[in-house]
Amino acid sequence: MKGGAALWARAARQIVNIVGLLLAVVVLNFLLIQTAPGDPAQVIGGEMGGASPEVLAQIRAQYGLDRSLPEQLFTYLGKVAHGDLGYSFYFNQPVTTLILDRLPATMLLVVAALVLAVVVGGGMGVLAARKPDGALSRFVSVVSTAAHAAPVFWTGLMLLVLFSSVWPILPVAGMVDPAAQYSGLDHALDVARHMVLPTVTLAIVYIAQYSRLMRASMIDALHADYVRTARAKGLSERVVVGKHALRNALIPLVTMVGMQFGQMFAGAVLVETVFSWPGLGRLVFDSILRRDYPTLLGILFFSALLVILVNLVTDLVYRLIDPRIRTGRAA
Amino acid sequence: MIPILSVRDLTVSLKRASGTVPVLERLSFELDRGRTIALVGESGCGKSMTALAIMGLLPDGFALEKGSILLDGEDVTKVPPARLRALRGNAMSMIFQEPMTALNPVFTVGDQICEALRLHQGLGRQAAMERALAMLKAVQIPAAEQRLHAYPHALSGGMRQRVMIAMALACRPKLLIADEPTTALDVTVQAQVFDLLKELQEEMGTAIVLITHDLGAVADITDTVAVLYAGRCVEHGPTLEVMEAPRHPYTRGLMACSPHLRLGAAAAGVPEPLQEIPGLVPPLGQRPPSCAFAPRCARATDKCSAQDQPPLAAISPDHEVSCWHPEERAVA
Amino acid sequence: MSASLPTTQTGAPQGVASPAGTALRLFLSNPIGLGGLIILVVLVFAALAGPQLYGVDSLDIVGMPFQPPGDDPILGTDYLGRDILAGLLQGGRASLAVGFTSALITVVIGVAFGSLAGFFGGAADTLLMKITEFFQTLPTLLFAMVLVTLFGQHLVVTTIAIGIVSWPPTARLARAEFLRLRGLEFVKAARASGAAPAYLIWRVILPNAAPPIVVSATLAVGTAILFEGALSFLGLGDPNVMSWGLMLGQNRAYALDAWWTVMFPGAAIFLAVLGTSLVGDAFNDAINPRLRKR
Repeated sequence: MKGGAALWARAARQIVNIVGLLLAVVVLNFLLIQTAPGDPAQVIGGEMGGASPEVLAQIRAQYGLDRSLPEQLFTYLGKVAHGDLGYSFYFNQPVTTLILDRLPATMLLVVAALVLAVVVGGGMGVLAARKPDGALSRFVSVVSTAAHAAPVFWTGLMLLVLFSSVWPILPVAGMVDPAAQYSGLDHALDVARHMVLPTVTLAIVYIAQYSRLMRASMIDALHADYVRTARAKGLSERVVVGKHALRNALIPLVTMVGMQFGQMFAGAVLVETVFSWPGLGRLVFDSILRRDYPTLLGILFFSALLVILVNLVTDLVYRLIDPRIRTGRAA
Repeated sequence: MIPILSVRDLTVSLKRASGTVPVLERLSFELDRGRTIALVGESGCGKSMTALAIMGLLPDGFALEKGSILLDGEDVTKVPPARLRALRGNAMSMIFQEPMTALNPVFTVGDQICEALRLHQGLGRQAAMERALAMLKAVQIPAAEQRLHAYPHALSGGMRQRVMIAMALACRPKLLIADEPTTALDVTVQAQVFDLLKELQEEMGTAIVLITHDLGAVADITDTVAVLYAGRCVEHGPTLEVMEAPRHPYTRGLMACSPHLRLGAAAAGVPEPLQEIPGLVPPLGQRPPSCAFAPRCARATDKCSAQDQPPLAAISPDHEVSCWHPEERAVA
Repeated sequence: MSASLPTTQTGAPQGVASPAGTALRLFLSNPIGLGGLIILVVLVFAALAGPQLYGVDSLDIVGMPFQPPGDDPILGTDYLGRDILAGLLQGGRASLAVGFTSALITVVIGVAFGSLAGFFGGAADTLLMKITEFFQTLPTLLFAMVLVTLFGQHLVVTTIAIGIVSWPPTARLARAEFLRLRGLEFVKAARASGAAPAYLIWRVILPNAAPPIVVSATLAVGTAILFEGALSFLGLGDPNVMSWGLMLGQNRAYALDAWWTVMFPGAAIFLAVLGTSLVGDAFNDAINPRLRKR
């Protein structure tokens, strides 16, 4: 089974690559702590945290800050390897716990925005591609240029103003109505209502980008020889466009979605801040405000980990929809 | 018996901002069951456009101005779109020039062959797969069982073109249009593909419209030939007669360009150097009503550019030519 | 081979002038790009000359807080009673300066990485691209936030941080261009005539790789302005220097009561980014005329 061996070799290479990247992020964090102005212990303790002399002494002992740099690095690496991203003296909780507590809310927002952007943006792109000079095509071009330039925090603020004072039909803050104490389906509906504005805000930029990309790749696909072959077979326009052209046109979109996940994740930080969404974004904002460095660095590490995982998933999806990659060049 | 394909007065034009430009002018030919016609001429003479017009697949901007295309007596230019789709891939099908891009890269060979079978013959998945496998075997693809589940990129150009042929013939069409099916292939593979087409034609009785630059193949496997120049048919007749005694100077020029052919010269025993036709095919929109070949023609006189190109005129029972000064038979 | 290889660096540098001219003509004939250029010129002019012409200090308290737009001051006042229009004019200086400087840093780092990787290939390429890949796994905005938080809220830190997080795409682009160009005849000819690597990179390949890099640099200006806004919005702006982002960040909490305090600075960022992306797109169309129809 030559193919099997190649697959294992590829997986092994990928694991080495991932471990290497994560190691590099940890080293970077370590270097940032060391090079930041001020005493590393103070950085780890957080300027506004409980940086009392006892705590600082405790940190120095824990991180071995009185030892040589390489030794310090190994101590730090060892901690991260055990899932210990440090301790937030402001929140009085391990950073890992802080992050994992808030992760679901952020992931809900990011995934919802992603789905919305792919469905709406992709759909608009496909429709626009059918008439490259039509009104929808022009609309897609104009709107995508404009939406690309609009800062997400500004769009969010404007929607916030619009839906709180001018047209108050949707909740503009938080994830649930704290007064209502819903449960079950009502709870889900409540969350859904609160999600609308943050999701739309986060998705707008990507809807614009995806519609533009999808329009271009769909126009390419519709001019491809294999589409003519499909028509020559007598297939209906629905099958020609929806199966033969779409399947090919989706490949660039998958690449783009995968590449932009990290960006979207960071965008969620801004959107969460605008709409008081109780996710990682709020945690980031609070840690910035309190100069809670362990939490910030922990989030940086964690988001890099997420990006790496998403790249892995993208790679798999890519292989699934593009057989040319799947079998590799071995054939 | 009515012919399988009857093209009458086919006129296709390109709509431009500056007006409509003729692409094909009054093209007519007929093709009987199991027979093969060759469309020859340089690139840009309207051969592919003829093929696409028959399939009803003219690209955006091109329109059928007038004329009729009867497939087994049914005018495909007048049928509703649903009927046209029912005919495509079923009663008539087409093989394209570029096997590398004509197959969809993201579906398996088997899937792509099955599509037409399931659509036109209502076969189930299993039955369609079996027929697809039989077709792959019929086009002599080795290890057909494995190739059925392969993706196009895993196959060589020749194999892909065989897959295209299998796909086109899966529903046993009455008419097959092959648009330069071997141009993109290695020389050694070209002959194999032509042989295969001939073989399958004999088995299925399919009529073939063959578009090719390979005059050797034209001589080998076609019954009649139509020579197109700048969107007009300039000579039309039985293959042997046209090739042995070309009457239009353009046809003669084409024959002289072909290295291993030059039937006329060889027959006369005169070693004649390989020639080329000076000049280029006039681009769309720059084709006068007079003979479009006149500027490149050694035999042209003032009459050729002063008067409209003459209609095709019979010079023997089946052989027609459109020229003021046709070559004498003796020249050949 | 050793006999006589004349000075063969022709072709490339000569060939540049006329395509560049064509590209410029194409660019100027494109109303969209021209529109973007006009937006940028107006914004730059307003930032440079505006504060003097308007004559109101952006940090002065001119009246009651939260005065809505109207007669005086025309765009209203912020939460401290400062003139919004004065803030926009003065803030444009910082925002645009950050934009252009960060883009410059982005291009310098990106081209350095990309050109060396693409030119030398092999182990150097692998190493440089691994570093690039590493930087690409860090979400840019988060990374910039960490840098500014650790190294201080200062406009210089912000500018450098944005440059440091933004260069990987430019590096990939430059690498691809260098890979493409280094195999071409005129580069081989220059190499055969004994040109040193530095000369080949700077004088032979880079001029030919410039057009797409210029496009990406233009777009980087807009991205950097967006970054400045986002960082300031999160409270990481330089509190001593007025910028569009700072105005947004400081007035954010009052958005519901005084929409104008956030609407106008955001609109200024929007216009600046729109201007750069229109110009960038038009540049792109001008150097790839083939793609214009799409």
